Amino acid sequence: EEEEGPLRKKSSCFPHIASSQGMEPGQGELTPAFSLAGEWQGKMEEEKAYSPHGVFAHLEMLEARAHEADMKEEEAKQQEEKLARLKARVQELTLQRDELQAKVDLQQKRQLEKEGVASDPAQPSAQAVLEWKIKRVKAMLQVFCLTGISGKLTKQGVCFCISTAYEGTCLDSYYLDLLTKPEVRILRHSIPIFIPLEQLAKKYLQTDIRRFLSVLSNHLNAYAARKYQADQLQEHFSDQIEGTLQTNSLCNLLVFNYNVPNKSKTFPFNVRLLYGDLCSSIPTKAPASLAEMAAAHSDLFCHVALHKAFRSFSDAGQSAAGAP
Amino acid sequence: MDEIVAEYIRRTVLKIPRDEIKTVLQKWGFLSEVQLQTINFCQIKENISQDVVQLCEENSAGIKQAAVLDIIYNHIYSNKRVWSVYQMNKTGEEMDFFDLTDFKKKFKRRLQSALTNVTINFREYEDNAIWIRIAWGTPYTKPNQYKTSYVVYHSQTPYVFISVSVLKSNLPLLCQALVAASNYHDIHEMELRSHSLNSLKDIVFKRYSQNFQSYYPRPIQERNVAPENSRINQENRNEKERIQRVNLEVFGDGPQPKLEFARYKLETMFKSDPQMNVLNKKEPFRCLVKFSSPHLLESLKSLAPVGMADAPLSPLLTCIPHKARNYFKIKEKKGVSPRSFVSP
Repeated sequence: EEEEGPLRKKSSCFPHIASSQGMEPGQGELTPAFSLAGEWQGKMEEEKAYSPHGVFAHLEMLEARAHEADMKEEEAKQQEEKLARLKARVQELTLQRDELQAKVDLQQKRQLEKEGVASDPAQPSAQAVLEWKIKRVKAMLQVFCLTGISGKLTKQGVCFCISTAYEGTCLDSYYLDLLTKPEVRILRHSIPIFIPLEQLAKKYLQTDIRRFLSVLSNHLNAYAARKYQADQLQEHFSDQIEGTLQTNSLCNLLVFNYNVPNKSKTFPFNVRLLYGDLCSSIPTKAPASLAEMAAAHSDLFCHVALHKAFRSFSDAGQSAAGAP
Repeated sequence: MDEIVAEYIRRTVLKIPRDEIKTVLQKWGFLSEVQLQTINFCQIKENISQDVVQLCEENSAGIKQAAVLDIIYNHIYSNKRVWSVYQMNKTGEEMDFFDLTDFKKKFKRRLQSALTNVTINFREYEDNAIWIRIAWGTPYTKPNQYKTSYVVYHSQTPYVFISVSVLKSNLPLLCQALVAASNYHDIHEMELRSHSLNSLKDIVFKRYSQNFQSYYPRPIQERNVAPENSRINQENRNEKERIQRVNLEVFGDGPQPKLEFARYKLETMFKSDPQMNVLNKKEPFRCLVKFSSPHLLESLKSLAPVGMADAPLSPLLTCIPHKARNYFKIKEKKGVSPRSFVSP
């Protein structure tokens, strides 16, 4: 009531300020703010009746909106707090459960030793409940992993786990152990050596860890996706591919041959896919060379004598084949 | 068929255990299935090798095919060689579209421009590993097929695994060719050696089991079952659990990479009052400690649980996979007596 007094006084003079003050996040007490807002609305309605210009009506509407937004924010914050509380509670309960479990085990053993056979009808159900709880917590943790990046506080910092997936298929997970003191530093990791981790760390690790993780996750996901695609191609379409599929560790270059049936004949296609963006699973350079070559050839046919045109083809072929 | 080639194929076949000759030849793919069926693999190896050579003669095998057989042999029995890890460095950060054909071409060109008598063969494996076999000659002698160097390179990584031949003088040339072909700038040895190529790969590619803490449910995480005898006193159990926990933190819960030895070279100066003129020599005191075991890291891991060492082992021993080296040189800190640092 003491706090409400001056506020109400202010609110009668400077309504906007008062109401926004009442809702300031720092103050956190909701009840006075609600009552204030309600009272203030009442007053506004009165005034509306006296001045039909609509300015106040507009103000009122704006205020109502602001009020609503504030409410939502507050709610979100509360939810966050609740989540944090619940998480802490989960930890606490897990600990407690472990302790209790240990005690129960010990007791059971003692009882068994003392009585020989002990059959407690309540025991299996308690066990079942516990198991069910464990299962639930595990399922919860799994849901966290579905987000792609999950972390756990360790003694000296944080250990992040980046899980990759492509089109609904879960692929490999990678770990990153970070030290947070005196400065953020990578302690250990299981990220493949050809992912430019060092460069990314140099760019973002000290300044923006969120960005660092998201870019790293993009790199890993794109790599996993490219590799997955190449594997799929080899696994399911090996009968259509001539020879072997050639790639590299990052899978940012794919070279393979395949036949394109056209009327009664098949054309051998030589594909060279370049993935210029390491954060993308789609090539930046598709085999434009093919179309170019076809165009060049037909162009030659139209302008140069046939035998000369063919001589230039075979010359080009030899230089492409390279050293013997 | 060349006499040298025939003899080389014969000797390579002789190296393979008898039970596995057939599978190796199948992997080679040079002899047809029908031809392989004519060979009696139950006779003594000497005769098998003769038969194989005869069939190769029919197919007129060249040194290229013989070299491929040798690569297959070395790939399967890579533990027979000692592998050393080399690291390459790059200055720029430009994007690298590693092209295998390009790599091969550059590598060959670089070596052949320096040495005409050299046999170079490549073979790619599924894990993006490129195996290179080099038989060295001199300007006046043919390549010696029995003293080959082997290189295993995974594209777009800065690491190269080299098993040098007895002819070490060609190593700088080999390194140069590697650096040029893979678009790096320089190369140096990492002081990490083992017979087990795969373990070396696990170490430098960070594939060995590191114990990462996460909420992610691990597939296998068996709690150690409490001992049957409940009379074992609590204190003892606590200590055991502590050792187990510390060990898990240091070594992780998976199998360790296989290394056979770790070498520590200590170099320090005797310190005494200079006026006393005792032990005041310029020569440093040198000491070499070598740990060897068929499986060094596993044995280190089991030291504490069996009670032969205190629980957190010295970081000098446990840092091996993390630092990716098993040859160490321990020296005094620089600045204490800078005169004493003359590398042997």
